[in-house]
Amino acid sequence: MNRFTWQSALFLAPATITLLLFAYWPLLQDVWLSFHSWNMVSPTMKFVGLQNYLQLLSSDELIKILLNTVLYILVLVCVNFILPYLLSFIIAHRLNRFSFFYRSALFIPSTVSLAVASILFLWILNPLAGPLNIILSAIGLESPRWFKESGLVIIIIGLIIGWKVFGYNLILLAAAMVDVPKELIEAARLENVSNWQLFRRIIVPMTSSTALYVFVITVVFGLQYVLVPVNMLTQGGPDQGSTNLVYIVYQYGFVFFQTGKASAFAILTMLIYALFLIVKTKVLDKKVHYEN
Amino acid sequence: MKKITQLVALLCIGAFTIAALGCGNSQNASSKTPSKVMIEYWHVNAESFGGPSVKQLVEQFNKENPDIEVVEKYNPDMYKGLTQNLQAAMASGKNPDVVQMGYSYLNYAGENLKYASIPDIITKLSPEDNTYLQDNFLPNVLALATTDDGKQIGLPYSVSVPVLYYNPDVFKQAGLDPNQPPRTWQQVTQYAKTIKEKTGIMGFFMQEYADNWAQQALIESNGGQILAKKDGRTMAGFDTPEASEAYQVLADMVKNGDGLHATNEEAFQAFLSGKIGMVCTTIGKRDNFEKSAKFTVMATQFPSFEGKTRKLPAGGNLLMIFSQDPDKQKAAWRFVKFLESPGALALWSKGTGYLPPRKGVTEDPQGLKDFAEQNKNMQVAMSQMPEVVKWASFPGANGLQAEQALIDVRDIILSGKQSAADALKQAAAKINSML
Repeated sequence: MNRFTWQSALFLAPATITLLLFAYWPLLQDVWLSFHSWNMVSPTMKFVGLQNYLQLLSSDELIKILLNTVLYILVLVCVNFILPYLLSFIIAHRLNRFSFFYRSALFIPSTVSLAVASILFLWILNPLAGPLNIILSAIGLESPRWFKESGLVIIIIGLIIGWKVFGYNLILLAAAMVDVPKELIEAARLENVSNWQLFRRIIVPMTSSTALYVFVITVVFGLQYVLVPVNMLTQGGPDQGSTNLVYIVYQYGFVFFQTGKASAFAILTMLIYALFLIVKTKVLDKKVHYEN
Repeated sequence: MKKITQLVALLCIGAFTIAALGCGNSQNASSKTPSKVMIEYWHVNAESFGGPSVKQLVEQFNKENPDIEVVEKYNPDMYKGLTQNLQAAMASGKNPDVVQMGYSYLNYAGENLKYASIPDIITKLSPEDNTYLQDNFLPNVLALATTDDGKQIGLPYSVSVPVLYYNPDVFKQAGLDPNQPPRTWQQVTQYAKTIKEKTGIMGFFMQEYADNWAQQALIESNGGQILAKKDGRTMAGFDTPEASEAYQVLADMVKNGDGLHATNEEAFQAFLSGKIGMVCTTIGKRDNFEKSAKFTVMATQFPSFEGKTRKLPAGGNLLMIFSQDPDKQKAAWRFVKFLESPGALALWSKGTGYLPPRKGVTEDPQGLKDFAEQNKNMQVAMSQMPEVVKWASFPGANGLQAEQALIDVRDIILSGKQSAADALKQAAAKINSML
């Protein structure tokens, strides 16, 4: 089975070469950059050794950035994983009618670009002139300054990303839900099993492989999506209240033109992602039921 | 199968030959007949911010100069975005020719970007313009495009000053006289309070762009400063009582609920739909405000502090040339001269609200004479020209990061987390360790 053949190597080559050239080579370059001080234009690059890493690890902003990142993950997992998971169960198994309508209606927002969604939310949430404020003031409440309150700003940006991701995740999860054999569910019904038991004992184990995949992309892609709304709406503000591991790389690289520190942050980000994926493989994968 | 392979090979060879021939032909053509010189013009003017004027000017120039083709390119996210794109383009060896550069990036650009010096271009390629700079620009205006080490890196093009816009309808509703707008910051505070109390409408907003331009005007008009020179080194100069006192005026208004702390876009939307009484921002927004608002937008001079001289940083941009090739340099210089001509400047001012940097445009009948007489808001801005000073920019490789630290401080002060004095002191220490 493991026989090496030229044909198979040839078939693998396009994918392998592209991957090496566009994923691993830039990664190596990034490591190299992180040991230098360079502003992207200057013809001379100064070698500074570990200085970028030392500055990064000793700075006050690191704690804030990591904390924000964790907050983002919590919001994103709630909005884009837990919520669509529950909804997809309802759509696939508890709804008898209109399930097609709900699926399409909930999917449509993910075709809208994040930039458009950002502008839309900026208008909806305008603390003085936006529609939400009109509703709030009608019931005697004052609209918060959504994009200027630390904490709140992360929730709002998480919701904007939800526009992009929610519908797609919902469709993936709904597909997995539909795949759960009807016989199993009907058998359970005959035994008078409660909805919660049905969900807990049958649906969760049977959909665990898709759920894990959705969970991983929610975290990994979700954090990257943060860049667009943050860059458009807050530029990391208020007082770095909406920055995170991904935006800070962009800010150091393309706002401050300090590529060395940006690369160091990028490496740190990658290590954290790697840690996340190791935990996923070692711990979560074991609890997952793969059909094949 | 074999035949198909041969056919494909044949087609490839054919395509290469045609491509090669094509190249040869175009080279021949360019050496025989003088072809058009293509130059690229980079600007920051979105559709709502003078974009149509840029297109009109470029079109006019291309029509009048058949031997030059100017291509305009819009860069989003203002000068920060433009500088980013510029550095990326230069890193890959494809630089634009004429570029709008923000005044706050003056020293950074002088130190870090490989520009073509306009005085050098004049001496080498266009000696007939030897006295152009001195003849047409006031020395203090030319100084806006001169770096700290005395290099003239470009020509001042757009000049903007902060003014106070207000909504006369809101003033009337609050029982205030629109013809008696506030003159001092003390009055602004009172007016904002009156507006909020009488109408429930938000009183005041000062722009919160990703820079500290308007805040510099506030601090320096109270006798404070952004930068200070100590032993030949440039340091943060805003940890003084004057600076924190000025900033505190703003913070107190927000704290009392009479002033707004929000993103710029949100506040402008709100002002245009009549939900804010006064907005302090650039005269560059005049045209956009006048056209988009449902009420008559009025403007008055930037408020002062009792008994103190106003100091208003010049916002806007200078034109820099980045061409390396002499032909392109010459074309770029001609384009710059066109943009700086009274007629073009008049069109530019009308389309954006920027003030003309050049002498005599406001008196020139071809220039802005009629317009200045008609538009009161424009007159207000022009009356502030003698008080214009340089926009502070932090020097060195960490300059842009230092600017960000001062932007972060604005959020800290306006959210009321710390007093202006404490926050500015901490920021000054942080910035000094960076510089």
